[in-house]
Amino acid sequence: MNTHPILEINGVSKTFVRRDKTEVAALRDIDLSIPKGAFVSIVGASGSGKSTLLRIIDGLLSADTGKVRVNGAVVTKPGKDRAVVFQNDSLLPWKTVIQNVAYGLTLSGMKWREASKIAQEFIDLAGLKGFETHFPHQLSGGMRQRVNVARGLAVDPEIILLDEPFAALDSQTREIMQTELLRIWQQSGKTVILITHQIDEAVFLSDEVVVFSARPGTVRQKIPIVLARPRNLDVKRSPEFVQFVDKIWKLIEEEVRAAAAS
Amino acid sequence: MKTILDYLSGETRTAALSRAVFSLVSVLIIWQILTATIVMNRMLLVPPAEVLDAFIGEIRSGEMRRNAWATCLAVGVSFPLSVIVGVLIGMFLASSRALSLIGGPMLSALNSVPIIALAPLFIAWLGLGFSSKFVLVMLVAVFPVVVTTEAGLRATDKNLLETARSFNATHIQTFTTVSLPYALPYIVSGIRVAWARALVGIVVAEFFGSFAGFGYAVMAAGQTFDTATLLAYVIVLGAMGLIGSMIFQWLEERLAPWRKE
Ligand SMILES: Nc1ncnc2c1ncn2[C@@H]1O[C@H](COP(=O)(O)OP(=O)(O)OP(=O)(O)O)[C@@H](O)[C@H]1O
Ligand SMILES: [Mg+2]
Repeated sequence: MNTHPILEINGVSKTFVRRDKTEVAALRDIDLSIPKGAFVSIVGASGSGKSTLLRIIDGLLSADTGKVRVNGAVVTKPGKDRAVVFQNDSLLPWKTVIQNVAYGLTLSGMKWREASKIAQEFIDLAGLKGFETHFPHQLSGGMRQRVNVARGLAVDPEIILLDEPFAALDSQTREIMQTELLRIWQQSGKTVILITHQIDEAVFLSDEVVVFSARPGTVRQKIPIVLARPRNLDVKRSPEFVQFVDKIWKLIEEEVRAAAAS
Repeated sequence: MKTILDYLSGETRTAALSRAVFSLVSVLIIWQILTATIVMNRMLLVPPAEVLDAFIGEIRSGEMRRNAWATCLAVGVSFPLSVIVGVLIGMFLASSRALSLIGGPMLSALNSVPIIALAPLFIAWLGLGFSSKFVLVMLVAVFPVVVTTEAGLRATDKNLLETARSFNATHIQTFTTVSLPYALPYIVSGIRVAWARALVGIVVAEFFGSFAGFGYAVMAAGQTFDTATLLAYVIVLGAMGLIGSMIFQWLEERLAPWRKE
């Protein structure tokens, strides 16, 4: 694997100022360096600034201090090299599945003939064949989330930012999607940053798991996941796997307790 | 009996149609009974059959066509224009916080003034005929469209706006692919209200300021105590209001099917 960092985050902090002038420190001094082609997960308590960091990486939000660089260039706005799959349902309700998946492509000026062909590939990949002309409100929550992921992948970004993409899925579908994601990642060589609350999901998929402290989010610990690849679901029963999960679980628990005590 | 009620309260198109027919027939029967028993004075109320006669008479004499032409021309020009102007003003107000803070209070002040009451003034300024009708309809119909356009654009789902931005959408692309489709059902609901208001506006304008049109015909029939003709024109106006309202309602549901299910 090429270890040249595709994404560098240096000293990123973010404080939100609410309407009533109260301040919420969401992130403090985040430093991360992510090699090209890596699969990195971010875990941490709710409200620890994970989604905020993802928005800053995508360029939707600017950091108060610090810089984000992609391939050496400072991020100031969203770019074609990155795509984000949001935590909340963000499909356009008046567009069909195929129109939604092609949305990013048509925005960049691609003709419908070509865009729909590419969209169709990712619909097949997401297991949504036959639902092309359905509208989002006619799909289950899990299917909508898959459309969401397919839309992000369809624009062929170098870095894909996933914010709890499988949160709405039942555990069987989730495992299927995890292995699918692994397969796509291995084939495409894309860099993936995944936010999740499922620790076993983070360990199963990642090269490295970044554990965030409670708010304000800081990098509590980076844990390289040394498990052989390619991985399949059997690895989840290995003692090493369980040790990683335990370790991360304890770290997060400590953070949550400390936050509750203060 | 129960099954008939069940059928009538159903969701199907034929059930809706049966309901409409059923209520229409009931009204006609009650009306007929009223004129035969309680209200015997023909100046106050005439039986449905006489209204139908008057209606046919107006068509035969060409009066119906002359009046319909005057009213439809005035509404046909001023209503679409007030929708366009309303949408543009609404877009303008939604485009910036400052604009809406300045424009908002002025609009709600204007909106709460009964503009209809100014009809005699407009007629004095603009004279009898098309232009006074045009201005009055514009003034009453534009506000609901402005308000709903602004509200719809402002209510646009933040997640969807952020999604567009994450895909590098330009401002125009964000507007055409997210804000406008989101606001469209709101706008149509405003148009529906505006339609009802426009009809009131046109009738009032024609009461005072013209020699043709449904409002003029109602007024003229009233002055000659021709209740049958008066009611015939009122029914035509009612039908216009109802059909317009139904069309816009249908359009609203068509444009936002995800809200229903
Ligand atoms: N636009 C905003 N304005 C004000 N405060 C915000 C805004 N966005 C996020 N916050 C605050 O910043 C903190 C971090 O939010 P963020 O959504 O990044 O957390 P998260 O780690 O993604 O949580 P979760 O796991 O629940 O999704 C929260 O306290 C949140 O209330
Ligand atoms: Mg989040």
